[in-house]
Amino acid sequence: MSAKKWTKAVLAACLLVLICSPAWAQKIKIAVAAPLTGPAASYGENIKSGVETKVEEINAAGGINGVMVEVAYFDELCEPREAAVVAPRIVGDKDIVGVVGHVCSSAHLAALPTYVRMGMPVISPTATNVTISQQNKDNQGRVWSFRNVYLDDYQGYFLAHYVKDVLGLERIAVFYENNDYGIGLKNAFVAEAKNVGLAIVGEEGYVKGATDFAPQLTRLRGGNPDGLFISGYYNEGALIAAQAGNLGMDVVKFGADGLDNVDYINLGGDAANNTYMTVPFLAEAAPEQAQDFIKKFEEKYQRDLDWMSANAYDAAGKFAAAVAAVGTDRTAIRDYLAGINSLENAYIGITGATYFSEIGDPEKSAFVKMVNDGAFTAAPKQMQ
Amino acid sequence: MLEQQLINGLTLGLIYALIAVGYTMVYGVIQLINFAHGEIYMLGAFFCVTFITAAGMPFYVAILMAIICCMLCGILLDIIAYRPLRKAPRLAALITAIGMSIFLQNVALIIWGSRSRPFPQAALPSFFREKALVMGDVSLTWLQLFIFAVAIIMMIGLYLTINKTRIGTAMRALAQNKTAASLMGINVNYVISFTFALGSAMGAVAGILVSVYYNTLYPTMGYTAGVKAFAAAVLGGIGSVPGAMVGGVVLGVAEALGAGYVSSLYRDGVAYAVMIAVIIFRPSGILGRSVVDKA
Repeated sequence: MSAKKWTKAVLAACLLVLICSPAWAQKIKIAVAAPLTGPAASYGENIKSGVETKVEEINAAGGINGVMVEVAYFDELCEPREAAVVAPRIVGDKDIVGVVGHVCSSAHLAALPTYVRMGMPVISPTATNVTISQQNKDNQGRVWSFRNVYLDDYQGYFLAHYVKDVLGLERIAVFYENNDYGIGLKNAFVAEAKNVGLAIVGEEGYVKGATDFAPQLTRLRGGNPDGLFISGYYNEGALIAAQAGNLGMDVVKFGADGLDNVDYINLGGDAANNTYMTVPFLAEAAPEQAQDFIKKFEEKYQRDLDWMSANAYDAAGKFAAAVAAVGTDRTAIRDYLAGINSLENAYIGITGATYFSEIGDPEKSAFVKMVNDGAFTAAPKQMQ
Repeated sequence: MLEQQLINGLTLGLIYALIAVGYTMVYGVIQLINFAHGEIYMLGAFFCVTFITAAGMPFYVAILMAIICCMLCGILLDIIAYRPLRKAPRLAALITAIGMSIFLQNVALIIWGSRSRPFPQAALPSFFREKALVMGDVSLTWLQLFIFAVAIIMMIGLYLTINKTRIGTAMRALAQNKTAASLMGINVNYVISFTFALGSAMGAVAGILVSVYYNTLYPTMGYTAGVKAFAAAVLGGIGSVPGAMVGGVVLGVAEALGAGYVSSLYRDGVAYAVMIAVIIFRPSGILGRSVVDKA
């Protein structure tokens, strides 16, 4: 090709770009606000893999109305301070149609005022703290923050009934993480425990990232418990279970969705056996269309699908459905999400049918799964 | 319950002590608080697990290899980050140390990912999980005894190295007066490298023991351990090796008793309260001397 021809070709290419640019400028971005580094990075990774899988799926099928979807990641370390910094940056990016996040309730609470004030629809796949729903309405009464995970008080309430009625436990030792999630869950459990007649033999707290629980466990052991409630996440939970085993405590362990990750078994070893947990997603109970996704996910990431990834996948899916139906306007997306308000028009995801109450909280039921012989299985008895 | 808390505290404390001696030795010799020491401890654990899983080495060989790698890392850390700043103000070196700590943490995050991983149980000697002693409410595992034994043997070895060998004499000479030592024909950089290597070896062992004990390792594990070991070193008198050992054990036991009897949320608070009390009432630490005779 001669130099002249090259110039022509380049010019033609430029022209083509110019002509097409209105269409190109239109982008659809979904923000993921999660801890991507730092001590809680593995939770962020769960969210990331869920959203990533959903977006890949959408793009492989030709995008939304022909436009490819991008994911913008914002690292907030699960810290309220960082979340408050990240939120305005997300709102400032005009291409972002919605936020999947935040992971931690405390971070979500810190970012929430910005989203509500600036009008950014957000779906948290994991934040379970009760107080969130009181703060997600703007002054016109519109809800901007939704979640597709049930709340701590529900899980705590549910667990108190489950361990009393189904597992037949009597004396409970409580171990809680000292943050919004751990405390909220624990308080709900303890309050209901009194009503159903469970004895609480001791409550011990710990901070995220702690590794040594032997002193607290030694103290709890003195109360002769038959059940150990771990109100926290799986990294620390696994260590608590293992160290309880080392101290010779033969107890039934139980907790909520925070424990649900295959790492709980990896890190806890034999001591992880005989642990019950409430989960929003149970592979065995997942609907037909989910099985394909579960298989793909497990091949790609080489680990069991956890509920965080499943919820994040569904959260991204809800945004995609909203954009496909009403376009990229944030208020329109909010209205669409707020319209998912009854079983008839529920969003059917892999975690089942979800719809939101008028304060943005989901209506879905809890499943119980357990660790048996080093693997997760559905608990033999579910409870409604 | 008291006996059990003492055992809990002693296990923790001996591990703190192992890390703390690395801090204190480096401080004794070049007056640098090496904040990246906690990351060497973390690397020790990750190297060991990687040698077991990726290279299929037996447990003890993997430990040895991890120790060697960490010694090299320690020496490299000194050569790359600290040696160019030897004559700069101390603050510059301190900031560099913090920078190296963050850098190494993130390198580990990139290489090994953010998830906590378990220690490969199959590689461990089977007696580790068995109980050595069960007396009423008190239980002691073989693993805990193993940690006691390793920590004590390493500390005796360190003590002998510092006090009975030529290189140890050179370290002590350097701690007293760097210029005079170099005038006496001591190769200052060589001795400093040796100090880093020795401290890193202790740190690596601590990292491996912790990851076996808790069956978990993660890239950010060095931070808290580093801060605790620093507190232990200050508690014992920074610059003093026996002080770091005593400081580590005192801190571990104080934490266990604090968590067991006061409130578990105050466990770190108890540890630091002890440290602050020591600094107020005995600023040179439990075994520190106020003169410059250190290491």
